[in-house]
Formats: sequence, structure tokens, C-alpha cells
Amino acid sequence: MDIIAPNYSKEFEKLAEAYEKSGGDTSKLLDKRVASIIISGNKIIGLNSVDGVKIESGSQEKGVWAKIKILKGKKIDMPIHLCTGFLGKEGEQRVNFDFVVEDGASVKFISHCSFPWSTKLTHKMVATVQIGKNASMIYEDEHFHSEAGGITLISDTHAVVDDGGEYKNSFELTKTRVGTLKVRVDVDLKKNAVAELESKIRGKKNDEIAIIESLGLNGRGARGIAKSTVVATDETHARIVNEAFGNAPYSKGHIECNEITKGEKVDVSTLPVLKVTNDLAELTHEASIGRVNSKQLNTLMAKGMSEDEATEFIIKGILK
Amino acid sequence: MLELKNIHLFIEGKPILKNLSMNFENGKRYVILGNNGTGKSTVANLIMGIERYKPQKGMILLDGKDITQLGIYERAKLGITISFQESVRFEGITTFDYLTLGGKVKSSYEETKKILKLSGLNEEYLKRQVDESLSGGERKRIELASVLMLNARYVILDEPDSGIDMMSLDTISEIINTLNSNGTTTITITHREEVLQNSDYAYLMCAGMILNQGSPEKMSEYYKHLCDRCDHPNEILESIERR
Repeated sequence: MDIIAPNYSKEFEKLAEAYEKSGGDTSKLLDKRVASIIISGNKIIGLNSVDGVKIESGSQEKGVWAKIKILKGKKIDMPIHLCTGFLGKEGEQRVNFDFVVEDGASVKFISHCSFPWSTKLTHKMVATVQIGKNASMIYEDEHFHSEAGGITLISDTHAVVDDGGEYKNSFELTKTRVGTLKVRVDVDLKKNAVAELESKIRGKKNDEIAIIESLGLNGRGARGIAKSTVVATDETHARIVNEAFGNAPYSKGHIECNEITKGEKVDVSTLPVLKVTNDLAELTHEASIGRVNSKQLNTLMAKGMSEDEATEFIIKGILK
Repeated sequence: MLELKNIHLFIEGKPILKNLSMNFENGKRYVILGNNGTGKSTVANLIMGIERYKPQKGMILLDGKDITQLGIYERAKLGITISFQESVRFEGITTFDYLTLGGKVKSSYEETKKILKLSGLNEEYLKRQVDESLSGGERKRIELASVLMLNARYVILDEPDSGIDMMSLDTISEIINTLNSNGTTTITITHREEVLQNSDYAYLMCAGMILNQGSPEKMSEYYKHLCDRCDHPNEILESIERR
């Protein structure tokens, strides 16, 4: 049976073009050894599962839903690919994902969301993540939007990581304009569970960015890092909140906000929130907002780069 | 020729360089020698055009043209560059990208590898990022390699051995000679008197002024005699200021 549903091959071709633009590898979407879900608008046009992975999916108003379960003890060797696209110019897309990684299982997801032709689109993603005991999940999400600036992306993820489990979530939107972005990720970490949340975003023109990353260190020995890097240029507005709650003994949390500004009209704020309700918890934070480091600039300009070239070179490195 | 003429530099109201004049002829190897805090690195930053090191009095001339008000980039375009004393970190940038400035400097992988080797690092460093995963000494070697890549007319090496435990005088000499063999004028800032051995002319600095200048042999003797145990005798400094 083909991965792409009948009658959708043309749509897939167009989606694949967008997917490649966002850095995705289309060949993986057609590889039967790789589990994948391909979403276009409010339809699932391609689906493939592999041993150890159970996928249920369907349509809902203005979008799709999928429940992806990694069965107990299964180590999924090849990353599961999630390809979400919208080919129209205007509209709304709602995607609901439920991820369940059962005890002792491990999996990596590579997600690409591509909306390169949309001028006015609202994409809403709600995800729940349940990671079992000693299980692990990596979720890498990269977005590719149109340059029109008319994309509104609202993403809300709630994760629970059980004893000894591991969760890594990275979000990246650096190659195109953002539009309006509202991302919230919160994690509830049980005993000895580990989480790493990272977001890298580059805002241009009048982009609006709002990020909340929250670590709930609720189990003894839980550990977490929440890190955000935002480059705000032109007239970008950005609000970044990184939170860590040390609620259990020997839990450790670190939050890091690194915001780089370039442009007289940027408006950026970062708010680290640390709260301890157990005196054996340990929380730390680092935060910086400002222009590109002057020593770095001087070093590159002394080698013959203009200030703009040097700034771009430094920013690209930071966002890599 | 690069000339500093009667330079006076004040930073936050304090006099840092006082009536300083230096000449750097094409293709020669210069050393600016002095103890810590005598103003050597200030001269390096002044020549490079770093923002807060623009003189309040005096002129910097390159081939007779006044470049005093030019910024770093403009001076770099005229062929002046520097290996700073403190090498900075660049997150997400590999050594190869750094040395070739992301493709702005045309150099093959093989050529870049050879240049890196001159500063004592092997090929594997080309793929590594110039970030906190490297020691200060490793980054310093990369910084030295970076000025070798540029074919600049004037290269300032500010304390080339600082932070590098195992960097021998021979390695520094090799870098200077490689630059010099391509016609580059080198200006080495150092507090190590031995560096004089591989130079054509030296300036000896004290308290933001030139204490003496001349052949490496003469300056070496003078430095050993007076500066090794320097307590900045007032009468010497006063006599320079009166000049």
C-alpha cells in the first residue's frame, strides 16, 4: 500500500516542495521504514507506521487529529516524520496531537511545518505528551512561513514525564518571517525525570513573538533546562517568559534567555521566573538582551567584514 | 608607510597615550615592548580604529593619507588587521567558516588546513566550533591563523603568546616570518624581550609614552638594564614628557 493516499499525489508534490524548502528530506516521507504523517490543510494525505508505533488519526473541524503511541520498551531507530502544510493563501488549520511514549520506549520526531504561500493563515497546534517510566522522546520542530508576515501560529504543548523519563523539545523558526507567534510549552517532571526545552526564533519587520517555557520540577531529583534564543530585528516585538518551579528535593532547573536586538524600533522583554517551594531544590538563570557583542563585531570587522555582514554572520551562528 | 603623529589619547578624562609618534615602514617587523599597563595594547586598538580609542590630538597617516577618523572596517579594507590579545568565542561557527569568514575569504579546505597547521592546530579543528568547547589557547591559535589568511599589509599581533602555554617563540617567529615573506608589516605587541630577536625595529613603551626606540639589540639591552626591574622612576618619565 502506498504511503500517499490515492488522489493526493499532486497535492503531495506541492507539499513536498514546501517541505524541502523548510529543510525537510522528502525521501524520508516516502520511505516505508520510516513512520510518518503528512498533513495538508484539514486532511491527512499520507500515513505510514512501523513496528512499535501505533497511529490513529482523523479529521476534525478545520484540521486533523492524531494519536501516536510508542509501545512499551520499543526503541524506534529511525525518526518519525511529521509534515504539516497548508497550500492555500488564507484559512485556518487546527492540529491536535497526543503523543504517548510507553515505559522504556524511545523515539525521535522530526516535524516540519511549511506555509510558504499563505498570506493569512492561523495554525493552531495543541499537543499532549505522556512519557512513561525510563522512556525518552525527542521532538524537533522547524517552521517555514511565508514572507508576507500573515501567519499566526499558536502552539500549546503540555508534557508529563514520568520517573526517569527524558524529554527534549526544540522549536526553530529562523529562516523566514514569523508573523505572529504564540508558543507555550510546559512540562511536569516526576522523580529523576529530565527535560530540555529550546527555542530559536528570528523576528523581522513587525513580527510578534510570545514564548512561555515552563519547567515543573515536581519529582525528587528532576532536572530541566529551558533555553530561548530570539533575534529581534526591525520592529519586532518579543515577550519571552522562562519559568522553573523547584517543588521537589534535589531537583535542579536552569533557564537561559539570550535575546539579540538589531533595529531602533525593536521591543523585547524577557522574564525569568524562578520559584522554589522546597528548600533542597536549586534553580539558576542567565539572561541577556542587547546588541551583538561588540568584541565579536570588532574582531570580524578588523578582518574586513562590514558591520552588517559581521552581525549577520554572528546571528547565523547563534541560531544554528 | 603607517605613521602615528603626536598622538594624545584620553579615556574617561585620563591621559593614556601622551604625544606618541611611531613609524611603520612597509615590509618590516616591528615590536612594541613594555611592561604590563604601559599602553601597548592601547596603541594596537588605536591603530585598528576601535571606537573608544580615537585620539583627541594627533594623526594617523597611511601612505600620507589621514585615516584618524576611519572606523575598523574602513581600516581593514585598507589592509590593516589585528589578532586581538583576547580571542572571543563564536557560537555555532566552525573554525573553517571563521577563517574563511563564511566564504568571504577565498581559500580551499587544503589551503586553510595548511595555514591552521602553522599556528599549531591540526585538521580536526576546522570542523569544531569556535566556542566555549575550545580552550582560550586553542582560540588564540585560531585567531593567529585568521590573520595569516588575509594577506593584509599591516598585521598587529597583540600579545601573540598570551594564554598559550606551549606556544614557543619559534612558532611566533614562524608566523611573523610567514607574514613578512608575503610583504606584510608586522607589529608585535609583547612584554617578552626575547621576541625582539625576530624583529627589525623596536619601540619601548612606558606610561603611555615611548621610552626608547631603535635596533632590537639596543632595545634588548636597554630593557634588561632598566625595565626588567622597573619601578617607573619619576625622573625618566619626566624627561620623556619634557621632550
